[in-house]
Amino acid sequence: MASDAQVPAKRFINLERLVRPALAVLVAAFVLWRLWDVVMVQKAYGGDTWVRFAISGLILGGVYAVIALGYTLVYGILFMINFAHGDVMMLGAFAGYFTLEAFKSTGVLDASLFSGILAVVAAFAVGMGSASLIAVNLERIAYRPLRTAPRLVPLISAIGASLVLQNAAQLMFGAARHTYANPAILDRNAGWQVMISGKPVLVSYTGVLTFVMSILLMVGLYVLVQRTKIGKAMRAVAEDKQAAALMGIDVNRVISSTFVISGALAGAAGVMWGLHMGIIYHYVGFLPGIKAFTAAVLGGIGNIPGAMLGGIALGVMEALGPAVLGLPFQLKDVLAFSILVLVLIFRPTGLLGEVLARKKA
Amino acid sequence: MKKFQFVLAALLLVGMLVSGCGGGEVECTDEWGCAQIAKGQTVKIAYVGPMTGDYSAFGIDMSRGSEIAVQNKPEIKGFKVELLKEDTQGSPEQGAAVANKLAADPQVVAISGHTFSGSTEAAIPIYEKAGIVMVSASATNPPLTKLGSQVFNRVCFTDDMQADFASKYVFNALGKKSVAVMHDGGAYGKGLADMFAEDITKLGGSVVASEAITPGETDYSAPLAAIAAKKPELIYYGGYSAEAAVLVNQLAGAGMAGIPLFGCDGTYGEDYLSLTGKNSEGSYSTNVPIPASDAFTTFRTTYQSQFGDEQGKLSPFSPHSHDSTAVLLAAIDKVAKVQGGTLVIPRKALAAEVRATKGFQGLTGTLTCSSTGECAAPSVVFMVVQDGKWVEGPGQ
Repeated sequence: MASDAQVPAKRFINLERLVRPALAVLVAAFVLWRLWDVVMVQKAYGGDTWVRFAISGLILGGVYAVIALGYTLVYGILFMINFAHGDVMMLGAFAGYFTLEAFKSTGVLDASLFSGILAVVAAFAVGMGSASLIAVNLERIAYRPLRTAPRLVPLISAIGASLVLQNAAQLMFGAARHTYANPAILDRNAGWQVMISGKPVLVSYTGVLTFVMSILLMVGLYVLVQRTKIGKAMRAVAEDKQAAALMGIDVNRVISSTFVISGALAGAAGVMWGLHMGIIYHYVGFLPGIKAFTAAVLGGIGNIPGAMLGGIALGVMEALGPAVLGLPFQLKDVLAFSILVLVLIFRPTGLLGEVLARKKA
Repeated sequence: MKKFQFVLAALLLVGMLVSGCGGGEVECTDEWGCAQIAKGQTVKIAYVGPMTGDYSAFGIDMSRGSEIAVQNKPEIKGFKVELLKEDTQGSPEQGAAVANKLAADPQVVAISGHTFSGSTEAAIPIYEKAGIVMVSASATNPPLTKLGSQVFNRVCFTDDMQADFASKYVFNALGKKSVAVMHDGGAYGKGLADMFAEDITKLGGSVVASEAITPGETDYSAPLAAIAAKKPELIYYGGYSAEAAVLVNQLAGAGMAGIPLFGCDGTYGEDYLSLTGKNSEGSYSTNVPIPASDAFTTFRTTYQSQFGDEQGKLSPFSPHSHDSTAVLLAAIDKVAKVQGGTLVIPRKALAAEVRATKGFQGLTGTLTCSSTGECAAPSVVFMVVQDGKWVEGPGQ
């Protein structure tokens, strides 16, 4: 702020200062007007519908948040966007799919309550394990040789890796869509009926599982990064690779473990996606990947609580935004990205990104 | 145009010389001129479609349908019929180029094609100028017959016919008066959904909600919740199986268990069933059936023995291209006259004859052309999922 005095063109400064507040007032006025129109004038939706929107948004947001964590971890350490992350999620979803198919073909999937739970746990284990393996090898093959190259180079390598994974999946599993074989206890249309303003709203078991699981993963990751030795090492490498190496930290090992963790998160997200949405195919990771990247930027990339907040916020905005503003649902992506642009105008480092950004500047 | 006329004149001259001017003067009073086929020459009919490239399955399949039609009627008044197969690769640019090439050939009397709507649209003005009649087997885009063309006709179902029939079926046979309309935002899906909404409103029904979805996603619970708030009795969907399957899977979760999803020809097929399991019970879709007949059985056997493939595997349209060619041949046979050893085919009379087609027995049904050139047999079957299988819907 001290630099203001040195700038001679004072009028110009005043104008520039007006732009953001004016924009804020305009946006706020628009949102209030639409909200008034939808809620008070049109009375378009009852309480039950609003709850349905919120449930849909929270579940989607939970998955986005888990995927976004993977982006943000890798960015925090390598300063690169791992564009193949969504495809790692897709492969994790396929690993879980084949695990459940194996259970189904041997007939134990619905044999008992216990075997059903076992199948889901196994699906998560296999999904997370194989996604980790893929993520680690991805780093070895596509990113490690380019570590000293300019920052654009690994980014392009990541886009290439994404295409390779997608096409490999298409060759291996075919272009057709596959339906997840949920055990009977996790039927996608079963759940608790909750009465909201006199009408039943279904809270599905898979939805609750997805949301609870994503919260657990977020908390687990936070604890891992803040409280464990490897977490400390990761934070050290993120802050300064050379200094960390001088302190005796094996930087390559830390980077590999980062990819193990981000892969496991992506795999878990993939299996959650399959269990809840039910349909997977070789391209299923692309859209969630892009959305989760957006969520990570929204929350402040490189910041773990930021990715969680950004993910949930993006999911809720996608589900509630068009309804609140009375827009067609086709515009939900436009809305989500407009909000991203607005957030970046007012907080260029994302919602929670400031701490980290200052450190890295 | 001058060049074209010159070529035409030159070719006619050569043709007359070759035929030895046997019968002397040929009389032609037709406004658009006549195709004159001298002795030893052939009557040329062209199938035009994508023979190579991404969509070649359509072109290969449909040209075979036309070929069988020509085999069934190999001669017109003693003159041999020759089928040309021209490649558009499915693109409008190639379509126009092929049309120009064919328009310059005076022996070409009729076109079975083009296969795709875009290519057809580009070609219509060219054939119009040259006075060459055409019957397309698969250009379904509704506006094509509204361009006021005198030469363009088609024997396929169109999207507005589908919407019209669907709205009547929903309103009258199923008795659903308040419906929601959804589509995938694409030209086909949106077009169909918009026409359906318009048609059912005209019938006295009401469209209580309409939403567009983003194709390719696997979660549509939010738009479905918005639809559910308006309590429709039925949801009409314009688009393809992939998204329709996701929608129907999430209907119950959105509180709309038992509300049928009424799809279109884009949602008909086996993959819709395999992706939805028991959730799709009671879903509707459109199918364009080929009625069982002896002629169709013969057609299938001929196709199989001649080309080694099962009919219907490459594309569903080979019976349609057979019919388009057969309609053309029948009309040519009616208007063609032999004058002193030369076959004379008046072009305008031929176009009028094709348009006047009435009660023609084709493989796809009984074909009657409207004044704008819609010749498809008005048959459509709405299918419903029962016990995991597509069966004919009730009340048709």
